[in-house]
Amino acid sequence: MNRIDLIRMGLKNLWRRKLRTFLTILGVLIGTSSIIVMLSIGFGMQESYMGMLSRMGDLTTINVYKGYGGGYMDASSGRKSNEVKLNDEAIENFKNIPHVVAATPLVETWGMIVSGKNMAYVTLKGIDPNSMQHFEYKIAEGRLLEPGDNLAVVFGGGMRYNFYNERDLKRGIYTPPDVDLMNDRMVFTFDTSGGYPAMPGEQRPRYKEYNLKVVGVLQEGNWDTDYSVFMPIDTVQKMIKEKEKAENYPQQNKSKDNEYETALVKVDSIDHVEEVQQVITDSGYNAYSLSDSLKEMKKMSSTIQAVLGGIGAISLLVAAIGITNTMVMSIYERTKEIGIMKVIGASIRDIKRLFLFESALIGLLGGIFGIGMSFLLSFGLNHFGSGFFMNVGFEPGSKISIIPIWVVFAALAFSTFIGILSGYYPARRAMKLSAIEAIRTE
Amino acid sequence: MDELINLKNVRKVYRMGDEKIVALNDINLTIYREEFVCLLGTSGSGKSTLLNLMAGLEKPTKGEIIIGKHHIEKMNEKQLAKFRQLHIGFVFQSYNLIPTLSALENVSLSLTFRGVPKKVREKMAKEMLVAVGLGNRLRHKPSEMSGGQQQRVSIARAFVGNPEIVFADEPTGNLDTKTTIEVMDLITDMAREHKQTLIIVTHDPEIAPYGDRIIHLRDGSIEKIVQNKKKEDYA
Repeated sequence: MNRIDLIRMGLKNLWRRKLRTFLTILGVLIGTSSIIVMLSIGFGMQESYMGMLSRMGDLTTINVYKGYGGGYMDASSGRKSNEVKLNDEAIENFKNIPHVVAATPLVETWGMIVSGKNMAYVTLKGIDPNSMQHFEYKIAEGRLLEPGDNLAVVFGGGMRYNFYNERDLKRGIYTPPDVDLMNDRMVFTFDTSGGYPAMPGEQRPRYKEYNLKVVGVLQEGNWDTDYSVFMPIDTVQKMIKEKEKAENYPQQNKSKDNEYETALVKVDSIDHVEEVQQVITDSGYNAYSLSDSLKEMKKMSSTIQAVLGGIGAISLLVAAIGITNTMVMSIYERTKEIGIMKVIGASIRDIKRLFLFESALIGLLGGIFGIGMSFLLSFGLNHFGSGFFMNVGFEPGSKISIIPIWVVFAALAFSTFIGILSGYYPARRAMKLSAIEAIRTE
Repeated sequence: MDELINLKNVRKVYRMGDEKIVALNDINLTIYREEFVCLLGTSGSGKSTLLNLMAGLEKPTKGEIIIGKHHIEKMNEKQLAKFRQLHIGFVFQSYNLIPTLSALENVSLSLTFRGVPKKVREKMAKEMLVAVGLGNRLRHKPSEMSGGQQQRVSIARAFVGNPEIVFADEPTGNLDTKTTIEVMDLITDMAREHKQTLIIVTHDPEIAPYGDRIIHLRDGSIEKIVQNKKKEDYA
């Protein structure tokens, strides 16, 4: 029996019992779509968390802090024995770890930027201008820091909202800042008094003023960078020294070793973050990355997905039993027919293939319609269900239900497989029917 | 004369609980190529069992059944199906047509299992239906036809693959006298025309004379064999 005849005959047999076939397919449809929709909610959750995390910062960046070791002291030197230094040498070592794209020390200081009548309190972040391009700083205007920059700065995307008009504010008026970050004159000072007169007897340090050259502004929407101002690390370090001098701060001998408090390490892909982070913590540093939260989140969402998928799977199991039932019924009805086919030369393989094909087709059709149904339900959830789901931890504006394309194919394959599996027992029964007995049944 | 079917010491016993029923007892029989044999006997004589054994639908308890060079009793289900498909045609008392298929589809069904393409097999089936006088009933379902017409369809189905042997089990059992004669004439003519071996089981002594040889069965044994026509006449 060739394939076309098999298909033709199978279709005809299913068509012959339209209602029953339809009801069985309906069962598979419900089973398939409940699994897909349940899973899609899990994917939606995952996606929503991912979005949230990526707004909190870069998922492939590891923050490294100076290690404080295991905590026990070496009695002879008074130093912690396994203390490791976060210096230029360490940064170079980080760069040599496999999958690391770039590494930079990070120096922070605080001060004020004055631009005409407006001013803003800022965090200055000094980073290595060579490596800035490797970190995921998305530029909105201008460019990133480059080697050779000196008093150049890159503003975070939210900085424009940080400026305010001191004089207006004193009069109780708030005017939205009217600052052109790229073109207005920007002056940085460590003096954060904001122009208030000094208290009697107060000795104010005399800070230098720095004329900044704004080379770029980052895109908005990243909580980590929005309110930061980036500068080349050498400049920031120099400024800190000048600040300390102005404040008559006792000179520390730190300068000779150039140690940092923090460093950033960029990894090539999210899959390697954990591995690199392990290497760094193994050498004695403290390291933190958003992928720590991501890992937790993934664990949680896969648990949720397993539970949701399980609920869906129950209905598919019921559908599978439905297929088996339909096919067994069909054998009872067609006993004589099977007998006739055997007598006039159908091989047992033909009989088996015919039954398996019919049940596989029920599975496949159920899968196809189930996928259609899932997309409808998913659309409905995304458009009308957001009010409800916002309350259970979804980010506003994110999709509740996401159906990845691979799920579509997996669902088709799975429902067909379920069909074949459910048809296997009936097919075996049909195969084993004695031709001579089958032909005698009325 | 070519020997086609050889039965050697064939015995068939059915078990009904603890009781043994001997359906066939030590049958020795040779059937020749292109011969027309009638197995005549009352109900319970074992004639249908004998036919089923020769067609490979049942296995003998003991003995050998050789068709051509093939030992039927040693074949498995798969080989038997193939063997039936290629060498054997069947006509039943109750026609055994598939009710949901048209006459044309019923006739071409056995060719379907052989893997004959649709166009070819429908042409063959159509020719065969025309030959049995049902050229105007191709698209009719069995329920839309009389008993005689249904049996003609069934005959067309048996002969369409041009098998070497055609078995007929009480082919006229459900038919009236006039139709019986028509159907018998049809079967015998077809078999002669295509030089096929025809084996008919019947309890009707009026049918028996159609055969070249009449084998009388009683209680599972061959009672007597009547040579109806001289071998030379049909060889």
